[in-house]
Amino acid sequence: MSTINVLGLVLLVLMVLVGGKAGLQSFLALLLNFGLLFLAIVLVAFHFPPLPVTLVVGLLVLALTIFMSSGDDLSSTVAFLASAAVLVILVLLIVPVEHWALVQGFGPEDSEDLEGLSVLVGINFIQVTTATAILSTLGAIAEAAMAIAAGLSEILEQHPQVTPKALLGDGITVGKQIIGTTFNTLFFGFFGGFLALFIWFTGVHYSFGEILNDKIFVSEILMILFAMVSVILTVPITAWVMTRAVANQRRRAAKGVTKHDTTEK
Amino acid sequence: MQDLREKRRVTLVWWLIVLVIGGLLVWGTQHNASLYRDPIMQVTRVQTGTATHEEDDFHNVDRQTKQVLHGRILNGKYRGQRLTVTNTYSLSGAMDQHYRKGSQLFVVVHQHQSGFTATAKDAKRDTPLVFMLWLVVGLLLLIMQFSGFMAFLSVAVNGVLFLMAIILNGSTQGARVLWIFGSLAVVFAALTLWLVIGANRQMLITLATTLGGTALSLIVALLVFHVTHEKGMYYESMQYVTQLPRPLFLAETLLGSLGAVMDESTDIISSLFALKRERPELSAGQVFKSGRQIGSTIMGPLINVLFFIFVADTFPMAMLYLKNGNSWGYTFSMNMSMGVVQSLISGIGIVLAVPLASYLASRFMEKKVRA
Repeated sequence: MSTINVLGLVLLVLMVLVGGKAGLQSFLALLLNFGLLFLAIVLVAFHFPPLPVTLVVGLLVLALTIFMSSGDDLSSTVAFLASAAVLVILVLLIVPVEHWALVQGFGPEDSEDLEGLSVLVGINFIQVTTATAILSTLGAIAEAAMAIAAGLSEILEQHPQVTPKALLGDGITVGKQIIGTTFNTLFFGFFGGFLALFIWFTGVHYSFGEILNDKIFVSEILMILFAMVSVILTVPITAWVMTRAVANQRRRAAKGVTKHDTTEK
Repeated sequence: MQDLREKRRVTLVWWLIVLVIGGLLVWGTQHNASLYRDPIMQVTRVQTGTATHEEDDFHNVDRQTKQVLHGRILNGKYRGQRLTVTNTYSLSGAMDQHYRKGSQLFVVVHQHQSGFTATAKDAKRDTPLVFMLWLVVGLLLLIMQFSGFMAFLSVAVNGVLFLMAIILNGSTQGARVLWIFGSLAVVFAALTLWLVIGANRQMLITLATTLGGTALSLIVALLVFHVTHEKGMYYESMQYVTQLPRPLFLAETLLGSLGAVMDESTDIISSLFALKRERPELSAGQVFKSGRQIGSTIMGPLINVLFFIFVADTFPMAMLYLKNGNSWGYTFSMNMSMGVVQSLISGIGIVLAVPLASYLASRFMEKKVRA
């Protein structure tokens, strides 16, 4: 058996042992997310436009990740709506910045890997790089939105009559608690991936100016910064969506009560 | 009411200050050519040639266009010199740049007896980089205030440490990469948790969980490697490798999972401490059980975060492989398999940290309450 299969099996067994049914569901979500990511690559290779493909796949990934983990209905719905909103805002930010920075495709450091490959494939690489940046932040958006929504729904459980304004403030407070550790998850996650590249830069003695303008370096750092912006934005947006959802729920509850009263009479 | 209005005005002033600083930074990086040693040309006029049709062996159709860029040099000994540069760009643009009027690019200037010629080297990219950095720091400070500052500080400190470790690694020719980054991981975790939690018992338990979870995942991974003889591990597919790939891969995985395991143990243990504070009568067994429950809801999304960071990055290369007539299986093996292995190992660390955090918290909080 290949290493990937055995590691996957170990992960599955551990997730079921630790999390039971929730663990199994999370593992399935992970598998499906991989399928969606691969599907996105294949669709773009078949000349489907990269940005719409990314948006649709992105929404599906967010829905899968959020609804297949065990949160209550309210917090899952809020987390999904908020993360979808963040995804849209992020696209509006990433598209112009990627055009501006000219970091599409590959750099001189990739030439060895590109040997024997034709790069003139007729697919716009600015859009492909934009898609890559969006996809790499999806996990972080979903995780942050779920953490904020879960924190707020717990507060709602303890103080059911909290005002929308106070709830918004509570959202920021919950955000302050998670932002430090979330940033470190992103920092280590990305820097773990770039370790080889940074070793390359010091090994080949790039000057500071050369590194700051290097295509691959700028492209990778921009990805971290996009992910950080999306996590920061997720905090107030999730809190805001939660206040709207709670306001709606209360209005409906008030209406429901009066209706119920009239039918009883 | 007066207070509130006053507070709002102060906030508005802060937003304005941040905006002005951002504008200055962007303007500054557009006029910082004199800081560079390599000559930079600003494009003042562009002549576009006719497009030629290109088709490769795999029937991929593209178009290449030649452009003549007129501009002047902004820095160095050729400063003020007017030059023309020819450049070719393609529709896909994977390895080339489409320059426009106002673009700044690095050029190589050749001096002849009859005058100067130049060739385009690469685009200048520091402005968007600085802009995004400003956006992150600005939003962080405005929305999260002090906590945002601490988050930024811990990332900045870790960044400096990371740089030092890379330089150290370079000076040892990469012979001890796993040792360097393994000890770095311990320093990283201790420092970050100290900044986020403060120096107390909770921080020690979280640190122990973080290091234990990460170490366990690597041990499990090495065991699996041993049993399967690393079948299907394509070290040659790793990018930018300049030293022995296997220890480098393990160091990458170690660092990558460290942050997520730290994130998770912080969450679980701080929730358990809060729970114990609210209901001191809970037994160690009950605390362990709620720790497991909290952990099992957050482990899935966290594994996802790392999965997308590790694997989405391979999108452009994987797509290029597919367009060059490679099968899906080969494309996966050569581009995505190492990222998937990294996600799986990190995932194992994240899952193992759940019982570890619950156990350590339930055992060592108990003593604290008695004492």
